[in-house]
Amino acid sequence: MRRRPGPDSQATGVLGRTRPGSRSAAGVLGRMGPGFWAAAGWIALVLLAAVLADVLPLARYDETLAGPPRSGPSAAHPFGTDGLGRDVLSRVVHGARVSLGVGVGAVLLGLGIGAPLGILAGYRRRAADTVIMAVNDVAQAFPALVFALAVVAFAGANLRNVLIVLGVLGVPSWVRLVRGATLTYAEREFVLAARVLGARDRRILWREIVPNVAVPAASYAFIGMAVVVVAEGGLAFLGLSVQAPTPTWGGLINEGRTLLETAPHVVLAPSLVMFLTVLSFNLVGDRLRALTDVRESGLEPVREAGAAPLPSAPHEVRAGCLLQAEDLRTHLVTPRGVVRAVDGVSFTLERGRTLAVVGESGSGKSMLIRSILGLLPGSSVRGGHVYLSGDDLTARTPAEMRSVLGPRLGTVFQDPMTALNPVRTIGTQVTEPLRVHLRMGRRQARAEAARLLASVGIPDPERMLRRYPHQLSGGMRQRVTIAMALSCGPDVLFADEPTTALDVTVQDQVLRLLHRLREERDMAMVLVSHDLSLVARWADEVIVMYAGKVVERGPAAEVFARPRMPYTEALLRAAPRLSDPVHHRLSVIPGRPPDLADLPPGCAFQPRCPYAEDRCAREAPPLTGSYACWYPLDEVVVEGADSRGR
Amino acid sequence: MIIVNRLVRLLAVLLVVTFLSYVLLNLLPGDPVTQILGLSATEEARTQLRQDLGLDQPLLVRYLGWLGGLVTGDFGESYITRAPVASALAERLPVTLELLVAAQVIALGLAIPVGVAAARRAGRALDQALTAVSFALLSTPVFVLGVLLILVFAVTWQVVPATGWTPLSLDLGWNLTSVILPAITLGCGQLAVYARLLRTDLIATLQEDYITLARARGLSPRRILWRHALRPSAITLITAVGLNLGALIGGTVIIETLFGLPGVGRLIVDSIFSRDYLTVQGGVVLISVGYVAVNFAVDLVYAAVDPRIRRA
Repeated sequence: MRRRPGPDSQATGVLGRTRPGSRSAAGVLGRMGPGFWAAAGWIALVLLAAVLADVLPLARYDETLAGPPRSGPSAAHPFGTDGLGRDVLSRVVHGARVSLGVGVGAVLLGLGIGAPLGILAGYRRRAADTVIMAVNDVAQAFPALVFALAVVAFAGANLRNVLIVLGVLGVPSWVRLVRGATLTYAEREFVLAARVLGARDRRILWREIVPNVAVPAASYAFIGMAVVVVAEGGLAFLGLSVQAPTPTWGGLINEGRTLLETAPHVVLAPSLVMFLTVLSFNLVGDRLRALTDVRESGLEPVREAGAAPLPSAPHEVRAGCLLQAEDLRTHLVTPRGVVRAVDGVSFTLERGRTLAVVGESGSGKSMLIRSILGLLPGSSVRGGHVYLSGDDLTARTPAEMRSVLGPRLGTVFQDPMTALNPVRTIGTQVTEPLRVHLRMGRRQARAEAARLLASVGIPDPERMLRRYPHQLSGGMRQRVTIAMALSCGPDVLFADEPTTALDVTVQDQVLRLLHRLREERDMAMVLVSHDLSLVARWADEVIVMYAGKVVERGPAAEVFARPRMPYTEALLRAAPRLSDPVHHRLSVIPGRPPDLADLPPGCAFQPRCPYAEDRCAREAPPLTGSYACWYPLDEVVVEGADSRGR
Repeated sequence: MIIVNRLVRLLAVLLVVTFLSYVLLNLLPGDPVTQILGLSATEEARTQLRQDLGLDQPLLVRYLGWLGGLVTGDFGESYITRAPVASALAERLPVTLELLVAAQVIALGLAIPVGVAAARRAGRALDQALTAVSFALLSTPVFVLGVLLILVFAVTWQVVPATGWTPLSLDLGWNLTSVILPAITLGCGQLAVYARLLRTDLIATLQEDYITLARARGLSPRRILWRHALRPSAITLITAVGLNLGALIGGTVIIETLFGLPGVGRLIVDSIFSRDYLTVQGGVVLISVGYVAVNFAVDLVYAAVDPRIRRA
């Protein structure tokens, strides 16, 4: 019995979870890495120096002939002296006052004006949003730098004006950022839940939205600081910031230009300090942003697997067999531990037959196909062997593997919407393997591609070649991917859930097509599916997978008529049938698929198995004969509806 | 239809920008009359000049008059030099455009191979090194980078002149030596931006099913990267190039000053210093039109790159 959650528990549950702002600050800061801390340290150092500039034991910044003019770095003058013999270190430290003062001031000003507007626009959308977008358009086309120059030039080049101008110019960015962040959270379930519960807007804003907008805003504050420091430097470089005698970084660099030949240190010292400061602001901002940006994590391109590092058991290579897998294993190395996605799978497949691989999602079916093809994520290790007509595929290098992929092994994936490149025409995509593998010329490849498209039942193939994937229906696209998989005449066709993403009416057509093609071309087919009714109809043999292992195998008719492993039985019960009565209650497999990184000892299915005994929790049953189970089912009949509803 | 909508919207943006800048520039303290005649001029002379320049009219009337001229390509006459603003801009524009194009060529020419190389080896040493370098470039103000480049290439090695400009029509070789250093200075920051954008998008594209399937068809990694993955990953990059080209027409002020180039940016700064309102205003128009035109062009390029957009 599942307890029905009351409105209270639901609300607290939703409000309590998934609130990114409530992560432990200490834990997060601990993971920032040394770069972050070095950058934060540098910022602190420059800030401290700027604040304490007057009490530090330095020469006065405007004291001429504090040392000999244009002398290089020395103990008395670590950054040397400029053309008038003034201490460059002292001038850089005093310049930091202007740079950081303007930086902090302008960012606070931009934040102060921009954040309320942004929150308003993000939370109270409609009219506010339209206005903001229009203003944004204008702001982007508005030449901000020219405007800043004009204002400072006309109104007077002093700290206050520079600060106001740079602060105001930063407002549109602030509005955009805060509005974006607010929008993300205003749609999140915990805010919606709070709204539904009748929380007052002000309360929602302060309790739910502000804490979550704070992290992106803090991040942008640092990046904005870098922007302002550079902008102020630019103004100062043009002589449009705080005027002499007060030193500014941009002004120091501009003055130093005339001494490039005789005393380059006069330019290099403020340049280096400025670079490090801007770098530090950017770095701190970037690390803070990474806290909330999920895009950066978990991005890893699929790589071709190299040689097999996992040891494998001795076995016999069967000569007459088209495809043979022996003790195939794929382990993924994840932060949570090693995931045994494929754990010792063996099977054989003869020409002209269809092998079905069935199991729930996450049972390792797709990973098995990718292991055979050698298309694994970079963090994985593969073991065992795959033989194609006696030839060991796992011993091949990625480059050698490429001559097999396409000409001998064809592949069709689940979702035809994502299987075709959106920016290339169907013609380019279908002809490509023909031209690469079979070395056909352009004209010949196009004719062959049209023939292939016709053979998979696509009307008017010539015209279809000029189309783009988005102009085709899902069923048509899947036919195109099948045509591509067949283009080089493979011996084995791998079809990974080829119909799952399709309309029910189209599913049957596609399967018929696959079956017909398999017969016409005398191929073997590996059909991966979670849909047993489909498999029972088209497969000759079947392997049932659970937690990366084969738990039952045999001729399809036999396995489905008389399952021995309780998991197979459960799968069969869970499959809906057309012969079921109208209001028949669909049975589901209780529990969840196991966590592959943390498998229970003994049989992996044991926690969900209705027939489990003590031994099942202690020892894992080996795959002996056709099933892996200590207590196999005998004559349990699963045919009629009468035996199903228990 | 969408194109018409977009054009109307862009024209509206242009109107607002010109109006705002016209009003703001005129509201700021400072007076061209004082600038021309000096502080010691008599009140009659000032009034006379004011009438001659049309400054005695209300602001809105002046704006509308100026806007009317603008439609026919008349940007007005400089208060200071009395020369047509349009011709002053036309004279300076080629310098800035050449600088911009050269910088984009350098930035894109390097960013594409760098971004591809980094994405291909995402997370490995090369990627981390390239990411670090681009981050450092992003954090280097143009005048710092420019001064460093001058120090190395013009002062120490003396392979190019530090400052000055030779027009393309005069001598190709000298023209190139005078544009190369400023173009590198300008291009470096953009190189970093472009490479980062391309890397991120490419990494995402390389996760796509159609890339895995391309591998399953036995295509080489090189072919997959350049022919299958690059184009679907280029949209953000194109947007950034467009924004940059538009924004930089006036953003080259510092580089033009540093390298002594007679470009639009320099003209605008000089005009600001001399209170030459109409020239500044003309520069503003040029920048906004450039921005708007480039963004419109970018929309058209999108359609060429991604056929899904063509439906619109």
